[in-house]
Amino acid sequence: MAFSELTCFRSFRLIVLPLAVAALAASALAAPRKPLTDSELLERLPLRAGDGSARELATLRAGMLAAPGAPGPAALLAQAYFDLAMARGDPRYVGYAEAVIARFGEPQAASLRVVRGLLRQYRHDFGGALDDFAAALALDPGFAAAHAWRAAIFLVQADYAAAQQECAALQDLGRATLFGGCSGLVQAYSGHLDAGYRTLQQALATTDDPGNRLWLLTRLGEVAAWRGQPALAESHYRAALALGRDDGYLLAAWGDFLLDQNRPAEVLVALAGWESADNLLLRLAEAAAALRRPEAVRLAQALGERFAAAGLRGDTTHRAEEARYRLRLRGDAGAALRLAAENYRVQREPRDARILLEAALAAGDAAAAQPARDWLAASGFEDARLRRLGQELVLVGRRAASPGGAGR
Amino acid sequence: MLRRALCLLLLLLALPALAHKASDSYLVLDVQGREVTGQWDIALRDIDFALGLDADGDGGITWGEVRARHAEIAAWALGRLALRRGGECRLAVADHLIDSHSDGSYAVLRLAGSCPSAGGELALDYSLLFELDALHRGLLRLGLDGSTQTAVLSPQRAEQRFAAGEVSRLAQFGQYLVEGIWHIWIGFDHILFLLSLLLPAVLVHEARRWRGVAHFRQALTEVLWVVTAFTVAHSITLSLAALGLVALPSRLVESAIAASVVLAAANNLKPLVERRRWMVAFGFGLIHGFGFASVLVELGLPRETLVLSLLGFNLGVETGQLAIVAAFLPLAYALRGTGFYRRLVFVGGSLATLAIALLWFVERAFDLKLISG
Repeated sequence: MAFSELTCFRSFRLIVLPLAVAALAASALAAPRKPLTDSELLERLPLRAGDGSARELATLRAGMLAAPGAPGPAALLAQAYFDLAMARGDPRYVGYAEAVIARFGEPQAASLRVVRGLLRQYRHDFGGALDDFAAALALDPGFAAAHAWRAAIFLVQADYAAAQQECAALQDLGRATLFGGCSGLVQAYSGHLDAGYRTLQQALATTDDPGNRLWLLTRLGEVAAWRGQPALAESHYRAALALGRDDGYLLAAWGDFLLDQNRPAEVLVALAGWESADNLLLRLAEAAAALRRPEAVRLAQALGERFAAAGLRGDTTHRAEEARYRLRLRGDAGAALRLAAENYRVQREPRDARILLEAALAAGDAAAAQPARDWLAASGFEDARLRRLGQELVLVGRRAASPGGAGR
Repeated sequence: MLRRALCLLLLLLALPALAHKASDSYLVLDVQGREVTGQWDIALRDIDFALGLDADGDGGITWGEVRARHAEIAAWALGRLALRRGGECRLAVADHLIDSHSDGSYAVLRLAGSCPSAGGELALDYSLLFELDALHRGLLRLGLDGSTQTAVLSPQRAEQRFAAGEVSRLAQFGQYLVEGIWHIWIGFDHILFLLSLLLPAVLVHEARRWRGVAHFRQALTEVLWVVTAFTVAHSITLSLAALGLVALPSRLVESAIAASVVLAAANNLKPLVERRRWMVAFGFGLIHGFGFASVLVELGLPRETLVLSLLGFNLGVETGQLAIVAAFLPLAYALRGTGFYRRLVFVGGSLATLAIALLWFVERAFDLKLISG
């Protein structure tokens, strides 16, 4: 074993050194250049022509081209692009999906309206997305996915009564799994973690579909962690990971769980190779910083460049992540608080409340987190960590309000 | 074999990972009158999605595969970018290169072309990739007759108009004004020269002794003469040099500026010129003007607004100077009768100035590095 490591290291060094030098030289001279040989590899494509997903996409594209005016094939292709974007964290596929849908102007088919709703919620145009899903349901009242997505948006907006109505509609349609997932989350978000956990578990028992199981197991992991049961949460996350499907949301939630459990070394292993996805790069950078690894500087810098690039495009959908980056990696509580507050005007899930509370606490500005504290009080959300953050902020608020404490 | 595969995997991990980001192209255009030059960076991945670059289907794009399609890439891209200034501008790809951005390799198209009209607004119509990727954005940096503007080109804002109007000229003027002020503030040699000439303005030299002037008007007149002479002189040479009519080697200019500070300070300690200091200011001001000009040359003067920018820079230098005078004169006048001013500020200050300027002179004239960077 030791010997094999040694020979590996030797050949490794033989290849790496010249390449590292070349990479350094390339980055130092980052200017337009003319490659010297025709064989120089410039770009590796995400999909190879023979890949399974490439073949599937090619078939769907051909299907759409064969019937350019038909909504069905277009909706299938757009949905496939969107799913690929979610799995790989690669927003180019979202753009491809949008372009497919845009060819139809104001789409008149339920399937197209649902995909356009998905794309709009991705861009945080929640109002537009709700309209699209409603229009799809008007065209096809049995379109369960439209109810499920409306519920998801209402959960993000912390409108639990409206979400519950969508859950009820799913029950009326006889969709037990979707209903269980929907109402379990409404319960969990609105102050009933134990009941929510049980409902999600019942939903899990109703389905063999790996996609549904992955989603439910991930949410069970989150709810178990909020209930203060890390071992149980871990078992759910591991079961979800064992399904072997790429899923950006699962990896981000698992990374956050490990960070909260003070296990940053495992984050570096679990998310290795996922630097290209911004939200996972954030978790990697936080883990490297916690371990004081040499690559921490590079990761944080790369993340900063990604946010700067998104800013150039006028993209504001990453504000929650950018707030975390500002707070935890740059120690800039003021900027973090501004971003977290702007984000909270649009998204109000527990994680959005958490970064707002943390940034407000770090900035010593209890008033800025008032919307999150109001939500904690109104929803009765039971996560001990968030409750503690809320209480600490009450103390900060009192200190600021007391006559002698204003200057602190 | 497995070991080699593992090593290769390690190797891949060691290389920097590329970002997943939405598609952007980077379009830099410079329109000066009729003439258009520019550079357009488009991701190879995007070109592949539109045109299919991976000829051998191995999932990798090589330079050979790109090179074989250069004409097609140019036609595809230029067909999706229209510029109008008094009519359609003709654009061509002058060269094809490769560059790296955070999400991978980009084809770099060097653009050149011309428009029917040398003035008026510029209209730009951009539609690259929009039919395939609705989230694609063109990030534009446009230099229009010397003023720079930026814009994000999207399917909703694909056509945009840019005016080369009064506002941009004013902004141009303001930019050079600020540069002028900034330069006098960071140009310690100019400040020290001016102060060396101003220090004795609140004093008179009589019977080998210095004493304070009787009236503020006396000091003010002296200062006005000195500052005006300095200004007129350096404006002349600044303009001559900036317009490229006269050129002096920078080492000679910088050394002469240091020498002027030495002589001005020395004149305070052992007066040779007392009455007509404005002539000294004028003579050496000619040299300092060449110094200012070198900054302006580095900044680059826009051709269309040459005179305006030159005027702005000059006025900026004057503004900076007047700020120094306004801070200095009342203070010096108030302290003129004290021994503190005559011995410590006047004599001590001149001595210190002399020492620093001598050092500069030696550094610059003999190209040495003694203390300053």
